[in-house]
Amino acid sequence: MRVVVTGMGVIAPIGTGIEQFWSAAVNGICGIRKISSFDASSQRSQIAGEIIGFDPASVMSAKQIEQSDRFTQLALCAANFALKDSGNLDDYLPQRAAVSLGSGMGGFSTFESSATRKFQKKSLPPFTVPRIMANSAAAWIATRYGFKGVNLTTSTACSSGGNAIGVGLELIRSGKADVVIAGGAEACVLPLTMSGFEVLFALSTGFNNAPEYASRPFAKGRDGFVIGEGAGILVLEKEEHAKQRGAHIHAYLSGYGCTCDATHIVAPEIDGQVAAMQAAIQDAHIQPESVDYINAHATSTPLGDIVETKAIKQCFGTHAQKISISAIKSMIGHSIGASAAIGSIATIMTLKTGTIHPTINLVEPDPECDLDYTPNRAIKKSIQVGLCNAFGFGGNNSTLVFTTN
Amino acid sequence: MTTADIEAKVIQFIASKVENTDVSVITTASQFKDLGFDSMDTVQLLFDAEEEFGVTFDGDEVKNIQTVGDIIDYINSHPTTSSR
Repeated sequence: MRVVVTGMGVIAPIGTGIEQFWSAAVNGICGIRKISSFDASSQRSQIAGEIIGFDPASVMSAKQIEQSDRFTQLALCAANFALKDSGNLDDYLPQRAAVSLGSGMGGFSTFESSATRKFQKKSLPPFTVPRIMANSAAAWIATRYGFKGVNLTTSTACSSGGNAIGVGLELIRSGKADVVIAGGAEACVLPLTMSGFEVLFALSTGFNNAPEYASRPFAKGRDGFVIGEGAGILVLEKEEHAKQRGAHIHAYLSGYGCTCDATHIVAPEIDGQVAAMQAAIQDAHIQPESVDYINAHATSTPLGDIVETKAIKQCFGTHAQKISISAIKSMIGHSIGASAAIGSIATIMTLKTGTIHPTINLVEPDPECDLDYTPNRAIKKSIQVGLCNAFGFGGNNSTLVFTTN
Repeated sequence: MTTADIEAKVIQFIASKVENTDVSVITTASQFKDLGFDSMDTVQLLFDAEEEFGVTFDGDEVKNIQTVGDIIDYINSHPTTSSR
């Protein structure tokens, strides 16, 4: 039994909706700017991939907006796009329709604002807890569309979205669901969250006056990741069901691997990443040599990009040099739990269009990063098998395999 | 601000929170539940009223605030941090 992707929805700093997002991605448009949503002058990192001009009233009533966090609102926006794209799902029983969502932080926008109020001895918004809880986005999607089946939220930091899509694959394979709305959402361009990453020296701080150059995976002079926000949602279902209802098939979700480094709570490790890629390839019943594209995790941290490069070399041997790689975070920053879901959409669009989006700001590569990262300009290349990597704090590694058939 | 001003402002505020209801039906005697507010809506309404009128509803007294007039009375009898 094969699982296919029949719907995609995205909201990201470079575009809302697949068309706008992909057009910006292939043209190397950078969505990173000075932070506008709060006064970031006291932050070490003052830049982000924000979604400017998002109006939650476009997806919710005023009352629902009061009851939900921004990450839920972004998730609902992406889900609306994905479900419009997938077409009518009325053939499915509500009890067989599942939601599998990933978020690293959950409703942290509410957490930070409510905590501030609490310490100022002010009343808390009554929906503080249901806004913060990590599963609120999945619950809101289910409520909006009447999906009464399995409803799960995966929180594995930066790999949350990848694992949520992997869980979606397993739900269909195991027979626990017939259709799964799967993806990730995050809205953590926030002072406390950013300060937490800053004290770990994880964020870029040297490009506050040149934001568009800050996210530079695999490049010399990179100094950390740029925080971002967004949501990406896929609609997954069995191939035969999709064909029966006449849905368009964007790609096959053919494999999923998840491993834990089990070595360090934040530092990445080569072997764990290799194991995740190998597990996904094995799960997809393909040969490593058939992989021709990787949407890399590639956050633009000094250590992370080298470790991923070494992991790809260790996993693929000499074939690594033949694989086209690109880093969507060079344009949108790192949207934590949404990043792998958005990366998955970029991977699927690569399979569909035969265009590989570039890794921007890669003028002078780090000598230790010596693979083909599709620097600065998109290329045309027919791709049959694409991987989407996502590696998170906690040593959590997730790889998804998307194929054209 | 006079009592009449406060009454007018509170009614206007409540009206802004009521969906699909004729504003003219809102009086000081109107119960929140009759205006379509469930218990969670009422908690949200009182939170919003705190922000709007610069008062803080005491945790125990909040249970006794069930009508538009109760809000007006509370504002009239408690200090506010707002000039509104």
